Amino acid sequence: MPDNCAVEVMGLTKRFGDLVAVDKVSFCIPKGIVFSLLGPNGAGKTTTINMLSTLLKPTGGDAYIHGYSIIRDRGEVRQIIGLVPQDLTADDELTGWENVYIQAKLYGLPSGKAEEKTEEALRFMELWDHRKRRVSTYSGGMRRRLEIAMSLVNEPRVMFLDEPTLGLDVHSRRHLWGLIERLKEQGTTILLTTHYMEEAEYLADRIAIIDHGKIVVEDTPDGLKARIKGDRIYLRLGEEEAVSVVKALTEKGFNASLRNSDSIIVKVERSEEILPELISILQGRKLLEIRVVKPNLEEVFIELTGRGLRGEESFDSFKYRVMRRRMR
Amino acid sequence: MSGLIVLFERELKKWFGRRPVLFMSLVTPLIWIALFGKSFNLNALVNISAQSLIPPQLQGFIDPKVIEGMVKKALNKQLKSMFGTTDYFTFFASGMLVAFCIFQGAFGGVGVVFDKRLGYMRRILVTPVRRSYIFLAKLFGTLARISILSLLLLGTSIPLGFKFKPNLSIGDIIMPWVAVMLLSVFILSIYMVMAFYTDNQEVLFAASNLINLPLMFASNAIFPLKQMPGWLQTIAEYNPVTHAAYIVRYHLIGSPIPNYWESIIYLAASSTVLLAFSMYYSVRKMDMGV
Ligand SMILES: Nc1ncnc2c1ncn2[C@@H]1O[C@H](COP(=O)(O)OP(=O)(O)OP(=O)(O)O)[C@@H](O)[C@H]1O
Ligand SMILES: [Mg+2]
Repeated sequence: MPDNCAVEVMGLTKRFGDLVAVDKVSFCIPKGIVFSLLGPNGAGKTTTINMLSTLLKPTGGDAYIHGYSIIRDRGEVRQIIGLVPQDLTADDELTGWENVYIQAKLYGLPSGKAEEKTEEALRFMELWDHRKRRVSTYSGGMRRRLEIAMSLVNEPRVMFLDEPTLGLDVHSRRHLWGLIERLKEQGTTILLTTHYMEEAEYLADRIAIIDHGKIVVEDTPDGLKARIKGDRIYLRLGEEEAVSVVKALTEKGFNASLRNSDSIIVKVERSEEILPELISILQGRKLLEIRVVKPNLEEVFIELTGRGLRGEESFDSFKYRVMRRRMR
Repeated sequence: MSGLIVLFERELKKWFGRRPVLFMSLVTPLIWIALFGKSFNLNALVNISAQSLIPPQLQGFIDPKVIEGMVKKALNKQLKSMFGTTDYFTFFASGMLVAFCIFQGAFGGVGVVFDKRLGYMRRILVTPVRRSYIFLAKLFGTLARISILSLLLLGTSIPLGFKFKPNLSIGDIIMPWVAVMLLSVFILSIYMVMAFYTDNQEVLFAASNLINLPLMFASNAIFPLKQMPGWLQTIAEYNPVTHAAYIVRYHLIGSPIPNYWESIIYLAASSTVLLAFSMYYSVRKMDMGV
């Protein structure tokens, strides 16, 4: 095993009955980087993290955290990791301080040291002023920060952040990103799952795209974006027109395809040069919307999996089949 | 060890923090004792007027006071042999001490289900703390709660007319507490298995309806065994609740106990066996992933 891996995952698999939630996943997270698992709902991100943090026993494969097996050396693994679960887990009947302090004691710290670590963690997450309040009175952003504070008391070498900004507004999200960056600067290796591609793009040094329990691709954010050459132009037209427009564009040598019943995707190298010609072809058609998209992770994801990261972008296979039949 | 202590403290903090719950669980025993204990007033039976009992031809020859005395004596003897005391209130209140832990035990289990549902359990499980401590913290938390409530229950029943036996010793206070703790362990062990088995608190609520009242009524907690049909007596004799009540009453009010050591050993053994199984099962469940 290469010893520059803080986390080395080898053929990790988890089955729930017939469902293979995580399917022979392998990757290495070099020490000190932010590694992001990016994938849609149900891709297997949480299941992977639960296995890595010893909460769930794998069906197959193994993983090593700083050389400790998540199957055989669970005690050692627990000592050096921190987990921020996807759901809010703090006890909302207790105060912020009590929640963090309990964690410190659970790591076996003596009282003095536990108090010191509790203060450190709360200050780091900018919650010190709110430490005496019951968690039930915290805002969403404060609760998310408390979740991270609770995971800092043992100074983890590897942090698992499972959708740490889920449900936050843009402002709180950016604030949390800043704190996560500072955590990285301190040398912590971070595994971050998210289905916000901006988040992965902003924070991650490396990204693995996961879908249906399998890693589809793993690369740096720039490397991934380089995989889709050129821009995407999305056109929305009247229902009756979409099919014939695709035909017309294809005849002119465009790489155009139907996305769903009323929208078209055109792949071009440089949209700036192509747009005038495109618009002239569309003269007289019922054009409802035109959208130019520069290469980004969302596009990479669509390219690789055939659907978007979010629900509303999801690929409707039934609709697609109906369209195909109509096109023939 | 410090992990166990801090989790135990959490249990108490949560209990004291829930003001309405705390208030209600303190008031409930008061109301039970005051209403149930006093509504069933056997002593009123004994307070008869003998005047009407004396046949007319004997009127004047016999002093009604003598008859009254005889009837009272006979009834009291009957009551004493049935309840072990002539005072049903004292019988009932001491039985309540035992019945109360049946109901409190269920709450301990519900706490586990909510820790699982709200994700707190996962939070504890990622730390290296011993899995058995997580189980024990819940157990001790519930036992502490029951201890406080039982003491309060006993305390409030004194002004209402609870009669201790004469010459109460320290042991006569400690042994009932031990019995109540052992019974609580027994009950709580059952609920902990359910709590680690399911993620749904409704299962525990349904189970408590199923288990609690039968456990209470198929025992001598509220009514003495003597007035039960034979088959029910047999069941009650295997019910740990009965043995806990025997020990409590023997020490607090001096009721007779069929076999003191048999009751102690039976209660201790059944609690230990159940506790061992429950702890083994819970730790295993935690290990497999929540
Ligand atoms: N305990 C379980 N029993 C059965 N199936 C499960 C269980 N946990 C997860 N799954 C299934 O495994 C798959 C992966 O779930 P997982 O929670 O890992 O996805 P995810 O990538 O974290 O999704 P999300 O973005 O919604 O959090 C899903 O299909 C889910 O339904
Ligand atoms: Mg998830």
